[in-house]
Order: sequence, then structure tokens, then C-alpha cells
Amino acid sequence: MTVLAPAAAVLGLTLPVIVALYFLKIRRPTRIVPALHLWPNQIRDRQANVPWQRLRPSWLLFLQLLAAAVLVAAAVQPVLPAGAALARHSIVLIDTSASMQATDVTPSRLAEAKRQANGLIDQLGPQDRMTIITVGPSPRIVAAVTGDRDALHRALNDVTANNGPADLSASLSLAAGLVRAGDDARAYLFSDGIVQPLRASFATGLPYPVDYHRIGVSGENVGLTSLTVRSSAQTRAAYLHVQNFGQQPRSVSLEWRADNRLLDVRPLTLAAGQSQDLVFPVPGDATSVTAHFSGSDVFALDDAATAVAKTPRAFRVLLVTPGNVFLEQALRLRTDLQVDVVAPAAYKPSAAYAMSLFDRFAPASLPDGPLVMIDPPIGSQLAGGSPVGIGRVRAADAGDPLLANVDLQDVHVARSQDLRVSSFGRPLISSLQTPLLLVRDEPFRQALFGFDLHESDLPLRIAFPILVQNLSEWMLPPSVPSHSFHPDEPVTIVPESGATSVNVSRPDGSRRALAGAAIATFGDTDLTGLYTVEQTVAGSIQRSWFSVNLFSDPISQLKPLDRLTLPPTRTTAVQATHPGQLEIWPWIALAALGIVTAEWLAFHRGL
Amino acid sequence: MLRRLEALALQVRRAVSGQMGGERRSRRRGQSVEFADFRNYTPGDDFRLIDWNAYARLDRFMLRLFVAEEELPLSLFLDLSGSMDWGRPNKADTARRLAGAVAYVALAALDRVRLTVFAEGPTSGGAPYRGRRAATELFARLQSFPTGGATNYEKLVWPIGRQRPGMSVLITDGLGEPGVDAALAAMQRAQQEGAVLQLLAPQELTPDWSGDARLRDAETGIEREFTATPLTQRAYLNALEQRTEGIERAAHRRGLRFARLSTDQPIDEMVQLTLRHIGLLA
Repeated sequence: MTVLAPAAAVLGLTLPVIVALYFLKIRRPTRIVPALHLWPNQIRDRQANVPWQRLRPSWLLFLQLLAAAVLVAAAVQPVLPAGAALARHSIVLIDTSASMQATDVTPSRLAEAKRQANGLIDQLGPQDRMTIITVGPSPRIVAAVTGDRDALHRALNDVTANNGPADLSASLSLAAGLVRAGDDARAYLFSDGIVQPLRASFATGLPYPVDYHRIGVSGENVGLTSLTVRSSAQTRAAYLHVQNFGQQPRSVSLEWRADNRLLDVRPLTLAAGQSQDLVFPVPGDATSVTAHFSGSDVFALDDAATAVAKTPRAFRVLLVTPGNVFLEQALRLRTDLQVDVVAPAAYKPSAAYAMSLFDRFAPASLPDGPLVMIDPPIGSQLAGGSPVGIGRVRAADAGDPLLANVDLQDVHVARSQDLRVSSFGRPLISSLQTPLLLVRDEPFRQALFGFDLHESDLPLRIAFPILVQNLSEWMLPPSVPSHSFHPDEPVTIVPESGATSVNVSRPDGSRRALAGAAIATFGDTDLTGLYTVEQTVAGSIQRSWFSVNLFSDPISQLKPLDRLTLPPTRTTAVQATHPGQLEIWPWIALAALGIVTAEWLAFHRGL
Repeated sequence: MLRRLEALALQVRRAVSGQMGGERRSRRRGQSVEFADFRNYTPGDDFRLIDWNAYARLDRFMLRLFVAEEELPLSLFLDLSGSMDWGRPNKADTARRLAGAVAYVALAALDRVRLTVFAEGPTSGGAPYRGRRAATELFARLQSFPTGGATNYEKLVWPIGRQRPGMSVLITDGLGEPGVDAALAAMQRAQQEGAVLQLLAPQELTPDWSGDARLRDAETGIEREFTATPLTQRAYLNALEQRTEGIERAAHRRGLRFARLSTDQPIDEMVQLTLRHIGLLA
């Protein structure tokens, strides 16, 4: 045992002072009593003012000396060696992701993690420093390089769980930024191990070692991992995927609601690891549908799922073509597009269309707005140079979002207009001879194909509908996307034309106002459930909805990992870890309080 | 107050025999209006007592005998030790006034009053007093005795034993050591009816001080350092209560009445209420 404040031992001088006070004698006033023998033999010095008297044995003296000795012992702050090996700079990485809400340990994984981290704080020595970083969708420093244990406790206790994933890579990077070269640092990760895969940027290693403290014991969980609403010509139906991630069979009761109206209750028994797909009808007037199952479950976040049932508002799209069934079908795959197909001879400019596609036809004047021009006639406004033979087709920028999931490996183009001299925009698909597809953002989002789709096998590839989908969503993003988002995933909201205000109501009833008439990214999607977007257009309120659900198999699996693969350590500092210190002065002070109380009682009982 | 006292009289349970005529029923036959018996005349009898009507009928001299009404010998034993010179109101002053009141009741009823004050030893209060006119002399005599000295109840045994059967009243605070039991036993042996009146000051019944003090005994002058706490107050009151109960038990055991009086009670209230209540006065 060592002491943190040896100078406080000087307070031990109070002990002889107490004894000296007992040598002092009281000047007592004389009182005449009729019969002295009736008074008990009671004498005690309360206030000494005359020296000296013989020291008498006294319980009070003993208790006062004991209390003073114990208080001095508390003042020197004795510490006991504790279990953990601490570095001078301890970095606590505390997982606040969705899976830490599991209650397989009481009261929850996060509470258990905080309890263990609080124990680590208690063991900090006077020279030690600590940083606390949360591991969530984005890392957050809640306490930076401080030895103030009260502040650390407060910061740690204020940490709350969120519904998103754990981006451990970001937290490790953030922690690495706080460690200087040569620092004696060590990280303590309190997590269940359910984290997003580490990024490759840690190949060179971390400047500190990481101790992984596993939190959680069980992966017994039944979760809803998907809910989508599909519409056909006749009906609308919801498809629900439910899975038992545990090792024990589970029976649950599944409730099916539309706009909070209970429609169906189905008992469900799932064997260990079994999943099941369920189909539920969706009423025609329903705005949203919700599946929820009741029963004892250690993880509530995936016990409910919400989907938007309302069909989004459709965009009118004009396709001017002498005939292109591929393009027409690819456009119709998007349910919120109403495609009008006209022959070039019947084309009349109209402002009613949100997007126009001209296939092998060029109008006299281009409409203001999103536009796709395919193989414009030679001599027209956007036409390129003379056709050239095309060899291999490739992406101009493989990382361009417009080419996401577009596989161009087996795509061939016979010939294309020469677009090398075109000032239309940046190339998206190219070849050795000439760019094949150009796109531009200004003045409007527009695309220019240099080749006739019929002179290519692109329409026969799966890449084609995906490319059309990407381009149409880029040009006409849905005002409010109606599909499900993950917690903390940003949602792009494109206000309606003429919208003066845009408000978003969250599942807990709180509202957020967005700047009207500007495309906004809404990031407050940490809660699961139904979000309502209200836009004021010409005095009337238009509502649209999107939902946020966990829908994450890795999180719903919930089983804590015994071992976590962590980046290697590349520190050159000497890891001079030392045992943690457990301060015991609060307990000693408590004992002193008890002794003082006993002394008070003894005094009033006349001992 | 004296007029109210004149309406009272000492109450005795049995007939008394005094030396002089009084208002008390005597065991002897004497002169009064209450007929008792006849007996034959013998020479030397007072011929004024011959019942001439009986002589006429029986032709012999018969004497009419009447109940003799005699005085009640009242002995007052008054404690004027050092412990009695204490309290507000002072116990000795109150004791003098109480003794005077009881004595006046007796004098008004033509009873004979003998006064004895005591501390370390008894001091006679002079010749017995009789009649209302003696009251003034008795009151002056009561005031003339000083207070002081330690209480010694055992020294009362001899003067009590000299008393003719009658009534004795002991006025004391009962705090002396050894206790009052020896004196009470002497009263019983001397065929004394009467009472023990324990007189205490309010400050004794409820101590009005606390804290550190040097206690000095009012009688012995012995000193002791002391710290008063709620605990010691309770212990003192218990000891006082036990002392009082001991005196009361001893008095009842000897056929005596007992009353505990506080000096803050008016004398009139002590006499009219307490002493009548215990049956000393009627």
C-alpha cells in the first residue's frame, strides 16, 4: 500500500493536541446542593480553561483519538494496488452502438461497459491521464487527456447508446491522433465485438496497444431484418423476413398493423437459426405498416419494423423515340415515373415533363430541365463528330456513383459519334477511341449518349437498367425516398417546387425544420420508426414518409465476440504499464464518520 | 388566614389523654356534658358529682361520670438543618410558616403544643404552648432559631421517646443521612399519631441548571466536581424519588401520615388541601 498525499501526515499532530486538551481543567462554578449524595458521580470536561489536571481514562478521549487517527489515515490517501495494468495515457473506447443496448447482462451491455470503465477510472494514479472515446456511427471524444477523475466519471456516465453501427476504425484513428510519438499509451476497448469491418488503412499498425474487454454473454435474439411493400396491378403486399439468431427455439407472437390499426396477430415458432419469410396484405389506404413481436427478448431494437405503404408521387417523363423497347422498359422499372412515349413527328415541347429523353432525335430547342440525348442526328445541337468504330468499353471513373453496380465488362458498342471534341460535360463511359457517354450538372443534370443503343449489346446486359436507374435517380431524385434507411444514415430530401417550408417529424414526435426550396440532407435519423416530411406548397401541406429500421444481420446476431481482430501495434514507446491504484480513503473517511457518530452517542449517553 | 385555620382541628384516630382539660375526648372520666357512667360514691369524691335523683330512687350515693374532654399534646419537630436553608422560596422559611400554621390550628383548639427544632441535635422550643394567646410567642420563637448544621435524625429518638401519647408532626426535607426511619420508629414506640411532611424546593424537584459545576453539600460543605447531562439529571431525580418513596413507606409502616410539599405552594393551600387530604387536619 502506498499513499498519495504523505504531507497530510502532519495532521497527525492533532492527536497529541487532543491529549493535551484533556490535561486542561475546567473552571467550574460552585453550586450548593441540599444533598450531594443524591447526585451521581459524573464528571466530564467540556471546556477546559485552566491548566492542569490528571489525565483520566475516558471513552471519549479514546474515540476522539481514534477518529483523529482514522481521519489522518484518510487524508494521506492510501491506495491499494488494483488489477488492471495502466499506461500513463489510457484511452477508453466505449462501444455505444445499437447492439450495446442488449440486456443479456443486467441492466444492459452499455451499462456494464460503463461500470467496468468507471472501475478503470478509479484506478488511475495521480500522474495518469485518460481519454474517453465513444465507438458509434461516428466517433466522439467525451473526455480528452485528463486526470480529473470526477470529470471522467461524469463524462462516462453521460454516454448513451445509439441505434447505429460501431465504426471502430474511425474511433481507432481518432485515438491515434491523440497519441504523440513516444507516448506511453494503451487503449481499452469495452465492446461486444460487433463492429464494422476494419478499414485497410491500419495496415501500418496503431501507435498504442488495445486491450479488448468483451461485454455481453448471449446471442439469443429474434429479429426482423427486412420489411418491404410491393405493389402489383391487383394488390399490395408486405414481405417480412424474421430470423432466430439464437441457439434455442423461440416462439413469438407477431403483430401486424397498418397506421397503428391491428390487422393480424400470428404466432410464430422458429428453430435455432431458422428464418422465415411472411407475406401480409397491405390496405389500400394505409400510409405505413408495422410489424412487431412481443415476448422476452434481450434486444428490442429489431423487434419492430416499419415500412411506408404510400406510393410516392410520380414524375412525368417524356420519351421521344422512333422505337426503343429497351429504354422504355428500363424507365418503367421505376414505379414513381409516369413515362409518355411519343414518336419524333408527334413531339411538342411541353413544360409538364420533369425529364425528357430524346432517342435518335433532337428538338429544335432543348427543354430546360433534366435531359437524356441518345445518338443525336448529325448536325443537331449536341451531335458529335463522324462515327468511329469502337473497341473496348470502359468506365471513365470506376468510383463514380452513377456507375455503381454497373458492370461494363461484357458490353460492346459497334460505333459511336466522336465526342472527343464535345464540350457537353465529363465522360462517364469511354473507349480508347472516344467518350461514349457524357454527363453534366449545369445548367441541368443531363446525359449524352454518342451511340445508338441498337448498335450495342448494352441493352441486353444487366448493367443497362441499372445505369438507367442511376441516371434517372440522379436527374430526378425522389422528393422523399420512401424506402427504409438505417439508423444515422443521411436522407436526401428534395423539396417540391415552390415549397416554402419543410419540416420533418421524428418517431418520438420531435420536429426538425429544414431550409425550404433547397436540397437538404437530413441526418437526425438515429431513431427507428416512421418519419413524416411535411412541405408547405402554395398554402397546402404535402406529406411524405420514410422509415428507419435496424435491418442489420450482423447486429441482430448479437453474439459477443470472444476475440476481436485488431490492428497490430507499431509503437516504439516503452510500454511501462503499472498496476492501477485503488484509493481506499472514501472507506476510511466513512469509518471515521462512524467513529465520530459513536463519539457523539457516547457523549450524549454520558460515557 | 388565621380565621380559616381556626375552623380546622387536628384529627386523631383514637382518644387522647392530656394533663389539662381541652376539647379532645379523653380515655379518663371527667367533666363535660357527655354522660359516661355511674359508680358508687366513696369518701373523698367530689360530692358535686353526686346524682341526687339516683339517691332519691336508690337511697344511696351514686356519682355521675362524664367523658372528660382533655387537651391534645402536639409535638412539632422542625428540621432547620443546613439543607433546609436552600431553595426559592427558602425551605426553612416555609417550614417555619407551615409549623406555625399547624401549631395555630392546635392552639385554637386548646391543644398543647410542644416545639422542638433539630439539626445536628434537638433544641427545645421552650415550655409547651396552649391557647390562642400563646400563638404570638410561638411564632416569635420559630423565627428565633437559626439554620445550619447536618441533619441527625437519630438524635430525635430521645426527645420523641419522652412524649406522652399524642400527636407528632415532623417537618423536614428528609435528605439527611442516615435516614429518618429511626425517628419514625421512636414515634411509633411513643404512641404518636401524626405525620411526616417532606418539604422540598421546586429547584430540587426540577433542577434548573446544567453543565459543569463544583457541587457543595449545603450541610457538610463537601465538594465534588460534576458535569450535568440529561443522563445525570435523570439519575438525580430517580435518587430523589427513591428517597421520597422510602420515607413514605416508613411513615405508613409506623402508622403515620405522609405528604410531600413544595415550597412554591402557598401555606394556605398546603394546610387546606394537602394536610386535610392526608387526614392530619379536619
